[in-house]
Amino acid sequence: MYWVFVKQAMRLRARRLLLAFSALAVAAALATALFSIYSDVERRVRAEFSTYGANLLITSRTTVPLSAVETARKLGAVAAPFAFATGTLMSQPVSLAGVDLQTAGELTKFWHVEGSREGCLIGVNVAQRFHLQIGAIAPLEAIPCQITGIVSTGAAEDNELILPFSQVAKLANLTNAANLIQIRAPGDRLESIRASLQSSYPTTEIRIVEAIAETETSVVRKIRVALFLLLAVILVITTMSVSSNFSELVMERSREIGILKAIGAAERKIASLFVTESILLALASALAGYFAGLFLAGWIGQSVFAAPFTIHIQFPVLAAATALTLAVALAATALAASSIWRIQPSRILRGE
Amino acid sequence: MFFRFVAESLRRSPRRKAMTVLAIAMGTAIATAMLGVVLDIGDKINLELQSLGANILITPKPTPNNARAFLPESQIPKIKSIFWQLNLTGFMPSLTETAQASGSPVAVRGVWFNREYRTPDGRVLRTGAQAVNPSWRIDGRWVLKSNECLAGVTLANRLNLKKGSQLTLFGETFLVTGILKTGADEDDQILIELATLQHLTGHVGDVDSVQVAALTKPEDDFARKDPARMSSQELERWSCTNYVRSITHQIEGVLPMANARPVWRVAESEGRVLSKISGLMLLIAIAALAAAALTVWSVMATTMLERRGEIAIMQATGGTDRMIASLFGAEIVVLALLGGTIGVLAGLQLAHWVGNTVFRTGIEIPTILAPLSLLIAMTIALAGAYPPLRKSLLREPAIALRERV
Repeated sequence: MYWVFVKQAMRLRARRLLLAFSALAVAAALATALFSIYSDVERRVRAEFSTYGANLLITSRTTVPLSAVETARKLGAVAAPFAFATGTLMSQPVSLAGVDLQTAGELTKFWHVEGSREGCLIGVNVAQRFHLQIGAIAPLEAIPCQITGIVSTGAAEDNELILPFSQVAKLANLTNAANLIQIRAPGDRLESIRASLQSSYPTTEIRIVEAIAETETSVVRKIRVALFLLLAVILVITTMSVSSNFSELVMERSREIGILKAIGAAERKIASLFVTESILLALASALAGYFAGLFLAGWIGQSVFAAPFTIHIQFPVLAAATALTLAVALAATALAASSIWRIQPSRILRGE
Repeated sequence: MFFRFVAESLRRSPRRKAMTVLAIAMGTAIATAMLGVVLDIGDKINLELQSLGANILITPKPTPNNARAFLPESQIPKIKSIFWQLNLTGFMPSLTETAQASGSPVAVRGVWFNREYRTPDGRVLRTGAQAVNPSWRIDGRWVLKSNECLAGVTLANRLNLKKGSQLTLFGETFLVTGILKTGADEDDQILIELATLQHLTGHVGDVDSVQVAALTKPEDDFARKDPARMSSQELERWSCTNYVRSITHQIEGVLPMANARPVWRVAESEGRVLSKISGLMLLIAIAALAAAALTVWSVMATTMLERRGEIAIMQATGGTDRMIASLFGAEIVVLALLGGTIGVLAGLQLAHWVGNTVFRTGIEIPTILAPLSLLIAMTIALAGAYPPLRKSLLREPAIALRERV
């Protein structure tokens, strides 16, 4: 009998229920999307910061063992060795830097290279000074090479000739060693990676590039806080507006309550009827809203961060969204159900 | 008569009307707060990214005979006369020389720490290392006098210098006021006042590089075009956008003896980070706006559904469709204006609160936002009420009335 009531109530008031359902589902979808984005935003923003290049440098008064590159890579960082030497170009001294751009990846991604990134690259100031262009032969005394690209970084590289690491290492008499190792470590593990490298190579000096590490930390923190506050504002407002809307829908059932009371239903029974109905509705809305929210979060991730469209099913997010929807529905129902005790069937049915 | 109807309707069932006003106010508040924050967050993050340091480096053009080239210090303030001068947040001229300290060569760099200078149009401003490199960490304090210096952390360890130590350079004694740690070149240098170094080394008026920090717009495809190959219209648009390259182009225009180059490590990544963050906030704003619109829409739809009986009575007593529709329309406009105004005011407060909490500065909100939000709130409320109203008007009043009783 009880379930017949519940079922009939749902069937007969389909239109109203649809309105309530969509209002709750919107709240659930928004909550899901916002929670998912929030849980992911730190990783995404940190990934964007990887284009700033190295945040750790290993140097030494002598040389740095090349094995440190492997060690750093095993710790989950991107690392590349650099060698430096001085060469002679048209009887003038010129700085040579040795690095393999193909393996340096993120570390040299910000270099602006006109031409090819492989082979013999020339800094823009050196090119200007010696009037060299792409395709010309740089008559370097030790190793003449054909220029394949012109590098512009706004830093030391502008005044250097950049050759493959092995060539410069040979000139500088380095065996299994480098002058400098640049490392891009994930921002959140920067300090622990530095410490573990320092303990493996105690004679070297390992520096954190403060400007980059600090800016990353502060921007990530501010974005997180800003996002959190905005999410709180959106959720609180949506929740309030949905619950007022929902309670309105329950309120207008006073006639129904009057009839039920007139035919002898106990107040508790009527209240439990309403609550059951609301819970069923809230659960259905939460589920529908959850999946809609996942798509929304996936779409935002895809269009902002150019990440592949992925749907992460995270249990905490589902639980939070469901709890929020249930709370909204129950709060609104409780407000309305309190009127059950006050309603007098005779007055309601007479149309007052 | 018309106004009495509207006034009566508003007076009756104040609770329900309050609900409607509340819903509209909340929707408008979200919209205003989100738009306010989103429109300004790019600038805020851009300022934050300034702590990365200079994004433009000015160096002298190389000389043909490979002799060391310098820039005249007196000409540097000219960069504050370019079109984008207000976007230059700071600059730091410097000169690097080698000195002997404790028997080994050390790099000594003379810089402006926080120097007063006169712009070409006569204003007196201050700038220097403190403005360009806000993230420099100093154990101790900044240099204030000509016989003080900062020591880079690596060099300090090597020479066993501490805060308060004495150091002799070029025959003069300097007091170490602090140890500087940046993770970059400065770790191996001694920093002193530029004027002191120029005086001690005989390079009066010479500098060999200038670091410039500028607020720039992220590069897009248009920014990468070669200005030499643009039409005059394109060139004008390009120059009037604060791309890092158009700023360096203008700097080279006022300092013909110099190369001004973007520091790509900073300039390029700044743009990437900035565009991602603005994009994220924009999409969240759109999602929030859609949700706000939906809530306003649904509350209007609900109230209209409830008032079918009222509509039927008006129809039965001879009200024309047009008249009934305009009655309800007027009522909604009044409610939406009220709710919208409350919402806009609350939303502006929320935006300021977010700005103050996160960035410690208020949010700059364009004045157009308030009337715009109000207009949007009204449109959405009317749009939400329209379908159920139309449906009720199309029904036979007799059927509606019988259903009601």
